[in-house]
Amino acid sequence: MNAELQLLWLALMLYTLAGSTAIAAAVLAKRPERIILAVIVIGLAAHTVSLGLRWERLGHGPFITLFEILSSNVWSLLAIYALAYWRVPAVRPAAVVVMPVLFLMMAWLLVTSSVAGHFPPTYRTVWLYVHLLFGKVFLGTVLVAVGVAGLILLRQAGLRVASLTQLPDDVRLEYLAFRFIMVGFIFESLMLVAGAIWAQDAWGRYWAWDPLETWAFATWLLLAFFIHLRVTVRLEPWRSAALIWAVFVLAFLTFFGVPFVSTAPHKGAV
Amino acid sequence: MQTFAVIPARGDWLAAAASSRVTLVLLALLAAGIGATYALDADVTFALSAPLGLLALNLAAAIAANPVFRRNTALLVFHLALLALVVLAAAGRLTYLKGQLELAEGEVFNGQLTQSEAGRWHRSQLERAQFANEGFTIRYEKGVNRAETRNGVRWLDDNGALQRAVIGDINPLVLHGYRFYTSSNKGFAPVFVWHPTGGALRRGTINLPSYPVHEYRQALEWQLPGTNTTLWTMLQFDEVLLDPEQVSQFRLPEKHNLVVRIGEARHELAPGESISLPQGMLVYERLSTWMGYTVFYDWTLPWLFAACLLAVASMAWHFWQKCAAQPWDGDA
Ligand code: HEM
Repeated sequence: MNAELQLLWLALMLYTLAGSTAIAAAVLAKRPERIILAVIVIGLAAHTVSLGLRWERLGHGPFITLFEILSSNVWSLLAIYALAYWRVPAVRPAAVVVMPVLFLMMAWLLVTSSVAGHFPPTYRTVWLYVHLLFGKVFLGTVLVAVGVAGLILLRQAGLRVASLTQLPDDVRLEYLAFRFIMVGFIFESLMLVAGAIWAQDAWGRYWAWDPLETWAFATWLLLAFFIHLRVTVRLEPWRSAALIWAVFVLAFLTFFGVPFVSTAPHKGAV
Repeated sequence: MQTFAVIPARGDWLAAAASSRVTLVLLALLAAGIGATYALDADVTFALSAPLGLLALNLAAAIAANPVFRRNTALLVFHLALLALVVLAAAGRLTYLKGQLELAEGEVFNGQLTQSEAGRWHRSQLERAQFANEGFTIRYEKGVNRAETRNGVRWLDDNGALQRAVIGDINPLVLHGYRFYTSSNKGFAPVFVWHPTGGALRRGTINLPSYPVHEYRQALEWQLPGTNTTLWTMLQFDEVLLDPEQVSQFRLPEKHNLVVRIGEARHELAPGESISLPQGMLVYERLSTWMGYTVFYDWTLPWLFAACLLAVASMAWHFWQKCAAQPWDGDA
């Protein structure tokens, strides 16, 4: 096995270790946060080198095949969650929700072929990087919101582990989750704008309702709906939490499902 | 018995039109419209324009009636930018042009499109956007995966000075607002010279079907200019031009023949050879290439971009104020 894959394996093992510890810490209300963060950071470093080696070898970044997209998103989602974990203590118990999502993505990554794909000429633009960066921040902040929303839902379901009962009330948690949603919404809007600029250069139209564009717009629309619902009616925290989950599911399908079932221009036509 | 109709006061009408519950219904309608056209693969225009038009009215009413927009400038600017986006997108749909054209090497674009669609109010100025195709190179990676396209073009600017550029892939040629993009559509173009008996000499090309997509269909039927004679022309060569096992480049075959059928008669022509016909003489001069372009015109593009930036910036401003005014774990 080459260094690229070895480092990826190492990173995934460290993530699993840190993630499991974070879940245990949340359930038992223990505080080994520094160790958890340190393990994640070492994992991210190994992962970064692995991604860099592949980039160097193939001459393009991790954004062509499902393997590359999963790998780079595991990296960015963990980086953003780790940042939130470090800065916002109330987000830490959300590891119970966030880590299993990431574990699923890692498992999926492990069964995905790492064979290189074709790098289309339309991908040689700075707008691709801008678009992807905004998209990654969007998904990362929504994932943090989903974690907090998951805590509300777990409490609603009657789960009474220590760290859950010590957290602020549902109304406050909902507002915390919504703060991440607000950041996510800004970045999703930016992602759509950067994508449209790229599409104008690459395919001569800024918007054509191809499957990926349609799904991404549906996610944006659901967010707009959610934001207005929140100011229009008194939304119970658990309903708000469920809507945040719906947004995440839609975004997840857009990122990891649609590009691989459709053969539309976003795949870079021959 | 007398009945009195209840006539709402003007303010009530406005309040109803501005209702944020209406916004929710319309957003859901918009999503449903998009979902339905996506699932049915239908034309998206009506499913979009109806809810978007109603949303714009709803928003305009809200801006007029809802005091929150007077208290909160960021929110007001954001929603105004949204309104501008809808108006600009509609204006764009009414005035855009999207089309396709083909130019053989050396040929000058004369405004003729092979295919086009345009908004109802598009006023074509395509004849001003003249440019010539100076030929192209296209690199292919293994597996005949198309890599970079480089296409030389030249045109005269407004001062009559000759300008040159290389376009291709993500770099269009922009002339008078018209954006010309190279496309995956390109191929071989035999060049003929037609000497009609007693008439003036004419040089012309025919664009064979796109290569390599139609690799095994390099034939075309066409009519000799000024006659009723139909010719069937096929390009014939043995070489492998684009080898899937190697990195390669689009190029002309080193050796080729042109099969020309007129009625029952069949001719095989090498470059420089000719056929005598009752109406004149047809010379097959040489093999060249043609490039297919898409053209796109939409004057709203920079304004849309500005409205997007304004929308995102004001939304960020609003969220910032909101978060600053109310800490998440403080007293509500
Ligand atoms: C089309 C009709 C629309 C109307 C009538 C409308 C109206 C409103 C009103 C009245 C508010 C203020 C709520 C309050 O703080 O009391 C608001 C907030 C907001 N609207 Fe809209 N809006 C419309 C469309 C949109 C769309 C399409 C978006 C896109 C996302 C949007 C995004 C927002 C945001 C981000 C807020 C701030 C919410 C918050 O502070 O939590 N609006 N809207």
